[in-house]
Amino acid sequence: MADPVDEEDDYMNMVIAEPSKPKEKETYTQRRLRKERESEARGRVKSKAEQEADEAAAREAALSKSLLEDASATKSKGLAMMAKMGFKPGVALGSKDNIDARTEPIHVTMKEDRGGIGLDSEKKRKFREEVEKEGKRVKAEEGEYRDRVRQEREDTRLEGMVGAVMRVAERMTGEREEDAEDEKKISTKPLKQINVLWRGLIRKREEKERDRRMRYDLHQSLSRLPTYDDPDEDADDKRALGKDRIQHTLVEDLEEEDPELDEFNALEPAERLHKLVLYLREVFNYCFYCKFTYPDKDMEGCPGLTEEDHD
Amino acid sequence: MADRRPEVQEMSRAKRPKLEESDPTENPYLVHMYEDQQVGSYSNGHSNGSSAPTGLSKFKRHATTALQAHVAEDGPNNPFNNAPLSKQYFNILRTRRDLPVHKQRQEFLDMFHSTQILVFVGETGSGKTTQIPQFVLFDDLPHFNSKLVACTQPRRVAAMSVAQRVANEMDVKLGEEVGYSIRFEDVTGPKTILKYMTDGMLLREAMHDHNLARYSCIILDEAHERTLATDILMGLLKEVALRRPDLKIVIMSATLDAQKFQRYFNNAPLLAVPGRTHPVEIFYTPEPERDYVEAALRTVLQIHATEPEGDILLFLTGEEEIEDACRKISLEADEMIREADAGPLKVYPLYGTLPPAQQQRIFEPAPPPARPGGRPGRKVIVGTNIAETSLTIDGIVYVVDPGFSKQKVYNPRIRVESLLVSPISKASAQQRAGRAGRTRPGKCFRLYTEVAFKKELIEQTYPEILRSNLANTVLELKKLGIDDLVHFDLMDPPAPETLMRALEELNYLACLDDDGNLTTLGQLASEFPLDPALAVMLISSPEFYCSNEILSLTALLSVPQIFVRPASAKKRADEMKALFAHPDGDHLTMLNVYHAFKGAVAQANPKQWCHEHFLSLRALQSADNVRQQLKRIMEKSEVELLSTPFEDKDYYTNIRRALVAGFFMQVAKKDPSGKTYKTVKDDQSVLLHPSTVLGVDSDWVVYNEFVLTTKNYVRTVTSVKPEWLLDIAPTYYDLETFAKGEIKTALQRTMDKVKRRQAMKGGR
Repeated sequence: MADPVDEEDDYMNMVIAEPSKPKEKETYTQRRLRKERESEARGRVKSKAEQEADEAAAREAALSKSLLEDASATKSKGLAMMAKMGFKPGVALGSKDNIDARTEPIHVTMKEDRGGIGLDSEKKRKFREEVEKEGKRVKAEEGEYRDRVRQEREDTRLEGMVGAVMRVAERMTGEREEDAEDEKKISTKPLKQINVLWRGLIRKREEKERDRRMRYDLHQSLSRLPTYDDPDEDADDKRALGKDRIQHTLVEDLEEEDPELDEFNALEPAERLHKLVLYLREVFNYCFYCKFTYPDKDMEGCPGLTEEDHD
Repeated sequence: MADRRPEVQEMSRAKRPKLEESDPTENPYLVHMYEDQQVGSYSNGHSNGSSAPTGLSKFKRHATTALQAHVAEDGPNNPFNNAPLSKQYFNILRTRRDLPVHKQRQEFLDMFHSTQILVFVGETGSGKTTQIPQFVLFDDLPHFNSKLVACTQPRRVAAMSVAQRVANEMDVKLGEEVGYSIRFEDVTGPKTILKYMTDGMLLREAMHDHNLARYSCIILDEAHERTLATDILMGLLKEVALRRPDLKIVIMSATLDAQKFQRYFNNAPLLAVPGRTHPVEIFYTPEPERDYVEAALRTVLQIHATEPEGDILLFLTGEEEIEDACRKISLEADEMIREADAGPLKVYPLYGTLPPAQQQRIFEPAPPPARPGGRPGRKVIVGTNIAETSLTIDGIVYVVDPGFSKQKVYNPRIRVESLLVSPISKASAQQRAGRAGRTRPGKCFRLYTEVAFKKELIEQTYPEILRSNLANTVLELKKLGIDDLVHFDLMDPPAPETLMRALEELNYLACLDDDGNLTTLGQLASEFPLDPALAVMLISSPEFYCSNEILSLTALLSVPQIFVRPASAKKRADEMKALFAHPDGDHLTMLNVYHAFKGAVAQANPKQWCHEHFLSLRALQSADNVRQQLKRIMEKSEVELLSTPFEDKDYYTNIRRALVAGFFMQVAKKDPSGKTYKTVKDDQSVLLHPSTVLGVDSDWVVYNEFVLTTKNYVRTVTSVKPEWLLDIAPTYYDLETFAKGEIKTALQRTMDKVKRRQAMKGGR
């Protein structure tokens, strides 16, 4: 029997019925094929495993569904009798003071092997642990990769800043020396006399310069190696060929080992940066981050030593 | 469900203690009755001198002391019947006074006087079952009042043996002052003042006497076992106590969960008596076991090899497992004796269906050393959980507990009631361990980890009421005059769905009308100590002209398995069964067996005949006994006893039709695809149990049991016709109530066929 409420036409109902498509008529062949397929599916003998799985599934489905919620419950005479006695779904039987009363039947669990008590949960626990461990490992690897990339990026950034500070330091030192001596001899100083803090910068530049020159010389050398000593060449020839120029002193410098610089370069970029910044502050009252030369040693107005302080 | 194992009637002689009553005036019991009636007051129940005063004459009801009772017990004459006391009585009296409860007799009396309901906790071995009822007798003096004291027991055997013991202790004849009453057996007389009975029996009495007016005191023993009957009795007594303030109630329990009883009985006072137990050391395994049976065998053999003298008790789950384990232990032990000079080892099985004589063997002493000065012998008992509480075996020092037992489960959702191997509860595990400390300090080997004990085991075993189909119980409650089943105050109310199913089933069986009132059929059905389906089948069988046969069949279905199939002779047993096989199914086959058993050839030497045919004599005899009892009830209720002549072609058909009248809710239909069947309505896939003899290819079967194992089985099946279902149980087979599917279609087809046939007949 249908619910009377459903039968009443709900005039507020805004659902517009979709025009039903005229059902396409099944041709005879289609019908025959469909029938064949269906009967084949029905006739196929299921494997034992399939049957057991079906059985277990049907059982579990039936076991997990409360009879009170089942559609047929409304028709159940048993439930109707209980309702007459004052039963309300969701409330347990017995005295209302009995808080331990059950509302659900005891669950049925089938034991299928001879495993001891706790074996199943032990198995489950081990499995769970394994899964957790695996999960952790993957996560750890992911974390490492991210950290590494972040670190690399940070190092590159710092390295760039180190270069910038070095250039500042070189410029300021140079300016001061110029002021003092009023002489224009750039980079004639042997490398070893340059402060180790920015010696790397000079050295790199010199190396670059040397490479460039060597390449240039090579190009200019008219198919001859520059070191080739032609016995027929006289002084004029040499000048014409550009061989009279003095070889740069720094070239030898560059060949020399520089343990002091190596040691400095081995430091973390952050450390190097820190040292340079400190140097500039001490010697020039200059703050790299403020980009400002303070008038005195106190450097009033500078928020601090580190980059973060200047954020 | 009603207990299906009535005992063989061995005590029938004691049943009719027709005493040549001497002069009634000389019978102190009658004199007091007489005086009581005259005076109308029992406050001072001493005799008026017309007969010899007994040791109890000066006792004031509910105002006695332990000392008074002590004096009365010392004789010289029996305080209850004034007969001189025997020497044996005094011997027993001495041991009784050593029991732990004896020390607290005064305390018990004080509390007993002060309250209507008393909870008494005494561990096993405290002597509560035998002594407390006697303490009550000396104080309640029921004979002055023409009342009785009842003491209930969950098990028949216990009721019988305890009654015998107490009769000896009181120096009276069993069936006179002390008697017992169990299903199908009543050993009491007019003099009886103390009656041991099964809880089910007291419940049956309550159906006809809602106030239990015959009793002045009711003692519910072993209440911790929480049988169905005990639970209902407790609910009932709670109500009766309000109606009868003069009724005293003692709830006796062996476990420490007694607070629950106290709470339930409105905070009744509690008295606890320690048992006589020794400490038990408990060992757990470091890892969960892969195979608990194998682990158990290993543990037993290890104990035998390394532990000092003392017997072993191993708990397993069922007959087959136990027999198998016994065999394996014996084999291994023999090897140990040969090769490692171990002591001799005797192995005994113990389970419910074991014949009593064999059950008794567990009390045999352990074997002596193989040679003088050799290593001591030992006995091993491999038992089910009946060794947990019901039987006390002295000498057990080692307990091996794998943590499982077979437990009945019922689920209303798929309507299956089955025995399943399940983990025990913590309380059960404690009880098992306690078995090791009966005689001296013992050891308990639990074959699970301590973590598993704490986390996996439930606190208390679920009471039976939560694990049973309640159709029978509902019928009983209705008969007890309880109409509001929803609010009936049970200690552990079942799930609402269970009650719903039970009411529904009873309605389909026409035992309850749509308003939930008992119908005439329901009234009648409740007279039978049977499942409602069986009772209805029996009552309606005259309509099918086969009530004699259905009576036999009902009896056969109420006893344990009649076919024996020993592991060593399976093939031979099957051949023998085939001799009786009826192609239409197992019910008819069982009937054939019974008829053959009652034949002259078999009765000439039943024992040998049963042995030859692989049948259980015990089961058949008890079926015979049950049949007698049921027949008596049928005659009393005027249910006709009829038979179709055997030559009639409808002889077996009628029986099959009668089966449908009771079991129409237990029907399965064959799946079109092949071997499996589907239960109607619940739509569960089932297989026919391998033991079935069903020879014909039957589309529809009724079954007696839905067995849940790794597969779903139906056991004891007989083929039926769908027409019968529609004809005999039209309400249940109302097609409107069926979900769309194969079964509905098949029934519809049948219905159409029937209509067509009728139309044709009508047209002619």
